[in-house]
Amino acid sequence: MAQLMPKRRLENIGLGITGFCVALVALVVVTLIFMVAQQGLSTFFVDGMDPIAFFTGQNWIPEQERYGALPMIVGSFAVTLLSTLFALPIAIGSAIFVVEVAPGFGRRVFQPVIELLVGIPSVVYGVLGLYVINSLVKAIFGDAAPTGAGILSGALVLAIMILPTITTLSMDALRAVPNQYREGSYALGCTRWQTTWNVVLKSATPSLMTAVILGMTRAFGETLAVQMVIGGVERSMPIGLLDPASTLTAALTAGLSNAVSGSEYYHALWTLGLLLLVMSLVFIMIIHLIGRKGAKANG
Amino acid sequence: MSKLDLTRRQFVGIAGGVAAVAGLAACGGTQEPAAEGGEGTEEPAAELAGSISCSGATSFQPLVEKAADAFMEANGDVSIAISAGGSGQGLSQVAEGSVQIGRSDVFAEEKLEADQLENLVDNQVCIVGMGPIVNANVDVDDITTDQLKGIFLGQITDWSEVGGTAGAIQVIQREAGSGTRATFENAVLAGETAPDSFRPVAEVDSSGTVVEQVAATEGSISYVAFNYMENDGIKALSVDGIDPTQENVENGDFLIWAYEHMYTRSDEDEATAPVTKAFIEFMLSEDFAATVVEEGFIPMGDMKVQKDAEGNVTPVA
Amino acid sequence: MANRSLDAHVARIDRQDKIATGILTVIVGLVILLVVSIIAYIIVRGAGRALTPGFLANPYNDEVLPGILYQLWDSFYLLLVTLVISVPISLGAAIFLVEYAPDNWVTSAAKTAIETLSSLPSIVVGMFGSLFFVVTLGWGISIIAGACALTMFNIPILVRTIQQALEDVPRSQRDAALAMGLTRWETTLNVLLPAAMPAIVTGIVLSAGRVFGEAAALIFTAGSAPARLNFASVNFLSPTNPFNIFRPACSLAVYIWRLTSEPTAGSTEIVWGTATILLVCVLLFNILARLLGKFLSRRLTAE
Repeated sequence: MAQLMPKRRLENIGLGITGFCVALVALVVVTLIFMVAQQGLSTFFVDGMDPIAFFTGQNWIPEQERYGALPMIVGSFAVTLLSTLFALPIAIGSAIFVVEVAPGFGRRVFQPVIELLVGIPSVVYGVLGLYVINSLVKAIFGDAAPTGAGILSGALVLAIMILPTITTLSMDALRAVPNQYREGSYALGCTRWQTTWNVVLKSATPSLMTAVILGMTRAFGETLAVQMVIGGVERSMPIGLLDPASTLTAALTAGLSNAVSGSEYYHALWTLGLLLLVMSLVFIMIIHLIGRKGAKANG
Repeated sequence: MSKLDLTRRQFVGIAGGVAAVAGLAACGGTQEPAAEGGEGTEEPAAELAGSISCSGATSFQPLVEKAADAFMEANGDVSIAISAGGSGQGLSQVAEGSVQIGRSDVFAEEKLEADQLENLVDNQVCIVGMGPIVNANVDVDDITTDQLKGIFLGQITDWSEVGGTAGAIQVIQREAGSGTRATFENAVLAGETAPDSFRPVAEVDSSGTVVEQVAATEGSISYVAFNYMENDGIKALSVDGIDPTQENVENGDFLIWAYEHMYTRSDEDEATAPVTKAFIEFMLSEDFAATVVEEGFIPMGDMKVQKDAEGNVTPVA
Repeated sequence: MANRSLDAHVARIDRQDKIATGILTVIVGLVILLVVSIIAYIIVRGAGRALTPGFLANPYNDEVLPGILYQLWDSFYLLLVTLVISVPISLGAAIFLVEYAPDNWVTSAAKTAIETLSSLPSIVVGMFGSLFFVVTLGWGISIIAGACALTMFNIPILVRTIQQALEDVPRSQRDAALAMGLTRWETTLNVLLPAAMPAIVTGIVLSAGRVFGEAAALIFTAGSAPARLNFASVNFLSPTNPFNIFRPACSLAVYIWRLTSEPTAGSTEIVWGTATILLVCVLLFNILARLLGKFLSRRLTAE
């Protein structure tokens, strides 16, 4: 083959085939962004809704043609922040343990175990949430959470789901800290904890922050597991943590099948999708900023 | 498909199938009539053949599936693909022409724009009755329409106000856009809307979930179709003294009911139109009526009243 | 005096160290307990149904014992179609990024595109698919539309693992091949890909596990109604033909979601049974990935 074909031509074929694959992926992404933006912006440009009213409106009542996205925005951020709050100490704690205290145990036992958690599909987490966590919340809080569905249940399910993400990335972050740092600290007579706290965690901070942001990205975009446990109330603002609520993703899942293409409701749902898209871009940008800052700090 | 002619069919079908797949890959559509090679010429020309799809409301999907099974059994060359998507999807897909039949549990007028309604044919295939249900421990058995309205508008919040033991009323709603919810609210709320501050304890996706949640939640109230009322942990209420039964809907005494619609297009492709028409006729046939009742719906033929898209009820002429 | 305070200080930091270690141990213990109890709970709730003879072999509408045969088939078929589409594209894209990528805006735009894809919520991919593949391309609610949506979800994962695998091939091998006058394309095909194969295969099988459990991207593309299949069907256009890629399908994960959002009498049992099967499948993918990786790398180094 190689003899039949000039080298230059062969090289061009390779470049062509692989370049086509990359171009295809890029094209699909561009189409996606374009279509989501086109449909999502129709709310404002075709249906003439006021963007400020849309994003700050406190009532989402499609049958009255009232589309205020704030209840879902608040719901999404509430479950994301809360679940990160729950998962973070546990994730970083276990990462420290398996990297600093018991590395052998970490590699042989803990890593495979935590990878099991990554592998569990999100609907299965949803089923667990629906049948276990909701019942628990209901049993603990009684009348304050009559069905057990609400922000707290959603955040608990998400916390379990993002735990492996944050943990494995934190483990990588801690492992990446050069051993000389630790040796230097021990040579100064510091204990293991002092070394971990003052040296290892400090120098790993940017990577740890990236780990947290990636966990938050996953929580923010998680769909079915949340939708199954949060209660789905979009009508007005949730007031407490036990209140049933909805998230951007849950509202999309529940609403898309009932909306007629091209209608105001349909466009409004795409606007929620657009918001999700924009948020995931923002998360990427934050990660890049942290990376750049980290690179600068480390010289 | 009987086992006897399997070999012949296999041979012809594979040949036809391969050719058709090649054709499909080129045009990328699913709506072509089954091009079963030379088989068509061997069989009587009058036989129905074709492939149609039906999408939309999930509420009477099991019924449509039963009908499709029986219909395909009787017509070997017909295939009917049934997918779920909700009334909104079903209506928009039939309006766009991407499916032949769109199932809806509300009148298309409530969801589509006037220009989309053109060429749409409303086939009402059966009736579904709905009524309020409560947690089995609620000691109320009858409720007036006004009281129901008060509860779902958030004005009545305690069971003692409607003759029960004191305790908070927990309202469980269907999600916005649900046909069941639209029917219930049209019949009960009479155009009024709940205040913005009113929050149900849950807005759920389906009647099955409503039943589960009402059974599990003390003091809860919601509404479901008749065929969901026979479940443990819940009980159905009579409204203004009238029990939610098939007879009471048929004679017009019980007011909360709706049609199940299967929308089709008057300008449907000639290749599939006969199949679509025959299938709808089958669903309305006397033979199928027994299955309709079995599945908890009311056959069209039994109704003594009718409803139009505006909700006006009149006796059947 | 100074000694005493130093002793006290040492005692204090020693205690601090012990307490911290203690707390960390407890946390790790809890995490392991959590994982074990989650998996044990699912299996305890579902194993009874999952092991019932017929659960895997009966259709969902069986009146005596509803099973998950069709959903099981659909899950594997969807996975197969997805891999057939996504593996070549990812392979090509990864090779481009590792071997050819000029250091300019095109490359960085492509990288950004892949990164964007990786962070997109799967429901956004699903709603895009429901408009683009289902309506614009006219495929309808179908396996091919679902597989394309899953491909979008799968590509970033695959590209990253393949890229990593190619980059991990020792520099010396690449240099040797280029020095012998091979083009980059030949080097890639004949040297790099074989050397990276164990890692690539492991990556593909691992990603298959993720795809297998994905549901949100499928609901509006492949549909959520359980398909009715006829394994004797030979008409490839029939919606009951298992191999027809233009028919709607319902995977195990979507079926679980469907049953929990529209429960019927006895569906809870089926949900747990299906969840157990899904979990076991995903775990098997993980084990298979490891075994295959080991097996391949042993064969390769033995040669």
